[in-house]
Amino acid sequence: MKWAVVALLMPLFAHAQSDWRTSWDGTLYGYANNLASRGDSVLNPNNRVARLVQRAEVAELRFNLKAENETLRFSARGISSARATHNNFAAQQHGETYLSQWQVRARASEDWTVAAGREVLNWGAAQFRSPSSPFYFDNGRSDPMRELVGMDALKVTWTPDRQRSVNFARIVRSGYGAAQPDVWRDSWLAKFDQRGDEWAYGVVLAKSPQHAAFYGAHGQLTVSDALLCYSELGSSARDSVLLSPADLIQPFSLQTRSPRRIFALLGAAYTFDNGHTFSAEYLHEEGGFSRAQEIAYFQRARILPGMALAYAPRLLGRDYVHMVWQSNFLESEGYWRAMFTRNLTDGSSELGAYAEKSLNPHWSAFSTVLWNAGGAQQELSALFVHSLTVGIKVALP
Amino acid sequence: MKKLFTIMAMLLTVAHAFAEVDALSILKNSDQARGGGLPGIVWEIKLVSRDGDKLEEPQRIVVKAVDESSVAETQEPVRFKGSKILQVERNMWLTKPGLSKPIPISPHQRMSGQASNGDIAATNYAGDYDAQMSGTEIVDGENCFVLNLSAKHKRATYDKIRYWVSVKRVVGIKAEFYSVSGKLLKTARFNYDNVIEYDGKRIPFVSKMLIRDALIDAETTMEFLSVKVKKISAAEFDLGQLQ
Repeated sequence: MKWAVVALLMPLFAHAQSDWRTSWDGTLYGYANNLASRGDSVLNPNNRVARLVQRAEVAELRFNLKAENETLRFSARGISSARATHNNFAAQQHGETYLSQWQVRARASEDWTVAAGREVLNWGAAQFRSPSSPFYFDNGRSDPMRELVGMDALKVTWTPDRQRSVNFARIVRSGYGAAQPDVWRDSWLAKFDQRGDEWAYGVVLAKSPQHAAFYGAHGQLTVSDALLCYSELGSSARDSVLLSPADLIQPFSLQTRSPRRIFALLGAAYTFDNGHTFSAEYLHEEGGFSRAQEIAYFQRARILPGMALAYAPRLLGRDYVHMVWQSNFLESEGYWRAMFTRNLTDGSSELGAYAEKSLNPHWSAFSTVLWNAGGAQQELSALFVHSLTVGIKVALP
Repeated sequence: MKKLFTIMAMLLTVAHAFAEVDALSILKNSDQARGGGLPGIVWEIKLVSRDGDKLEEPQRIVVKAVDESSVAETQEPVRFKGSKILQVERNMWLTKPGLSKPIPISPHQRMSGQASNGDIAATNYAGDYDAQMSGTEIVDGENCFVLNLSAKHKRATYDKIRYWVSVKRVVGIKAEFYSVSGKLLKTARFNYDNVIEYDGKRIPFVSKMLIRDALIDAETTMEFLSVKVKKISAAEFDLGQLQ
């Protein structure tokens, strides 16, 4: 990786006389969060297993640096934060500074680009989950205030025209803060994209040395000025899967490699004349539990909550509906979004909202709220009842 | 008698064809002064919008455009700095620093005030509209061709346009934008105080566009600054390289 960056930086010195453009900007965040964990939780009784943060105060600086000329481009996004967290067991203070993304990119020729850095390799139109991405299925939903961190990768892109592009990437490792062991260390990614008059699609192949290949695809169709239809699809085999047979006599067991599973999302977004958009998505996750298996999962979790939580599939159920109503992204004075998610397998629901109001050209206030409806033995309401975040952000300079 | 009718019909057909060709060539020439038919164009736009008595926050964006593709990056207000809107054909995406992935957006999501996304990109009326000559009229003391334009395909920003092109300067100086049903939506006036050099020629180039809503008391002024003609690589319009 280091040698690749040096090789990419060589033209930088060769083009030292070129016309360099540099810029920086940043946003300073200050926010507080309160989370009401579930007292009767089966998966996390009295918060003893997950030890969820129940109160947090955070100060965070997110900054962007950019330097570029006609051939070379360097960009970085850094995050520096200090947070105080509290729960029933402890009050802690900690800070961290890291680059969530950075990239050195060189244009090798008219059609070819080479890049090295930490890049968020996420795509497709879906909001709820990203089935077509091998790296970001969750799409950042587990912690809406935390940004996705890029994958450390070397990438070659061929862009013969404005309609097509082909990417080959060597994934060196997952970026900062990745879970260990790193399943994507030393893996490969190939992606092809094509765009037409009113459609676009991409196909994805990813392979790591020890794991089964990931196949993905995403597509979108602009039906009219108001209506967009889209879909994402993925297929992979997981390394360790918690089996929860419907028959309660049988215990939990861990399967070292699951059969290949398909996960697919269909969605549509309709934009009204005032710019507001309503979107609805349906997700089928073949690797989730059936209703009977999920009931058995929660029954077994009464005895083994740690195992149930640690090895839970990424989604417990098989079928989900996600709806979003949001204001125009391009409005400068403010933005709001209301979300509803329902696990069709167990009937649990989550309501969420985000609102942001510009106070002046630099200052904005924002708030996000999540409220879960359901019981302790239903997925979306299994861990907490509600969460509220209130904060301000200041654009710099 | 029959021969006479045949000759007259032929002459009318030829005349009609010439009129269409003329309208098209006028349109092509006028497009150049608004970024069309060039290998690529980079410009900075300052947008100021007013809705009734309310003056909206000014915006500054840098646009790179070739034909029907464009990428617009916001510079101001500073809290939106780095936000980009990519348009390739009829597909549009919004991305900004920290976003988990680009968001597809609809042409209904207007940029700011009365400006459509199509208004900030290079104008390619000759490619997007069928043109018919409707005569000449005087606008602000200047003799103008009047062209009636009808959208050829769905990615055209407007369904119908009535376009006044200066006979002398061959630049569009006034436009009326209509819905499919023929309802007047917006009007626009153009100034050409910029000059670009292309193909060894100095071409007057749009410096200001004033768009007025025809239905409510609202208007948007776009000033075009730092205009450069340059070839823009396809990679600039690749969603995967927009970071």
